[in-house]
Amino acid sequence: MREYNLTVSSPDGNIFCGNVVAVYARGIEGDLAILAGHAPFVTFLKPCEVRIEFNDLNEIKGKVDGGILSVSDNGVILQSSSFRMI
Amino acid sequence: MSQDIKTLRNRIKSVNSTLHLTKAMGLVASSKIRRAVEGMIKSKEYAEALHKTVDTLTSCRECHNSVYLQERPAERLRIIVVAGDKGMAGGYNAGIFRFMRDFPNAEIIAIGKRACDRYNLDFCSSEYFPVSKAYEIAVKQCKDFEDGLYDKLAVVSTRYVSALSQVPEFTEVLPLKKTKGKSDSVIFEPDEMTILNSVVTEYVAGVLTQLVRESFACEVAARRAAMDSAGKNATEIIESLQLSYNRARQGAITQEITEIVAGSGL
Repeated sequence: MREYNLTVSSPDGNIFCGNVVAVYARGIEGDLAILAGHAPFVTFLKPCEVRIEFNDLNEIKGKVDGGILSVSDNGVILQSSSFRMI
Repeated sequence: MSQDIKTLRNRIKSVNSTLHLTKAMGLVASSKIRRAVEGMIKSKEYAEALHKTVDTLTSCRECHNSVYLQERPAERLRIIVVAGDKGMAGGYNAGIFRFMRDFPNAEIIAIGKRACDRYNLDFCSSEYFPVSKAYEIAVKQCKDFEDGLYDKLAVVSTRYVSALSQVPEFTEVLPLKKTKGKSDSVIFEPDEMTILNSVVTEYVAGVLTQLVRESFACEVAARRAAMDSAGKNATEIIESLQLSYNRARQGAITQEITEIVAGSGL
């Protein structure tokens, strides 16, 4: 599957930065998944579990108490002051 | 003569203990500097990501009506002053307070013990400045700005140029600047205005955290440089005092010998 660059950023630095296949989270208007080639998009996240999927079918999960998810041509940035890996 | 020798010996001892103190403080600063610079770089990454998001939002025509983008005559200026928790950092704290002389009528919010003491405000540490504290300040400042209690929010902090050079800096935070960019194709959920109003708190907190961490890195770097220079001065003083001490001691011995020789009647 096609990959894109994801950066998970917090005030204590970038928690994650790398190529991923998909990100699943809960936006302000419902659950969403971001795949490669997504249109530029900005939304607020609700407190939720964020799932990050890789090309080798591995995945990592994290919890956020809120944050901003922005999709641009250069990749996806998830900014949250409360991202914790689980 | 013996009085002189005693005084010189005491001074050498005193300067020597000061030298030990400056060496110890320099070593403490050296051990802290790596962690402080790392923290500064990390918080900069977050602030830059926030800048990008805010730039996307402020370039939207729909957001131009937001209260956070309304330019008002900057009569009521509110400044967050970031200084150090401790002294002995060369001109670090003095530089900030000298810079603040240009804003005598501004309303002050102080971060760092030195700034809190100077402006008689509640203590807020700059070394241990948690993100939660930044959010607490950001929420209050955003609400006050919305209510029109002040016109402009700025931060006076120190910019880290290098380990040897730090410059006081004035950073405007609110109101946000309108930017020009491509935001027509961006999808906002739920809408631009709601996101902007929610992002502003995150933005203010992120920028504040970054500036406080940068200032702390500056404080530690300034302290190390000051302690290095103080150590060098102390060594020079000890050398000069040691020379005077040796001369006085030699003088006393010579005098004693002269007296003995004169007294023996040879």
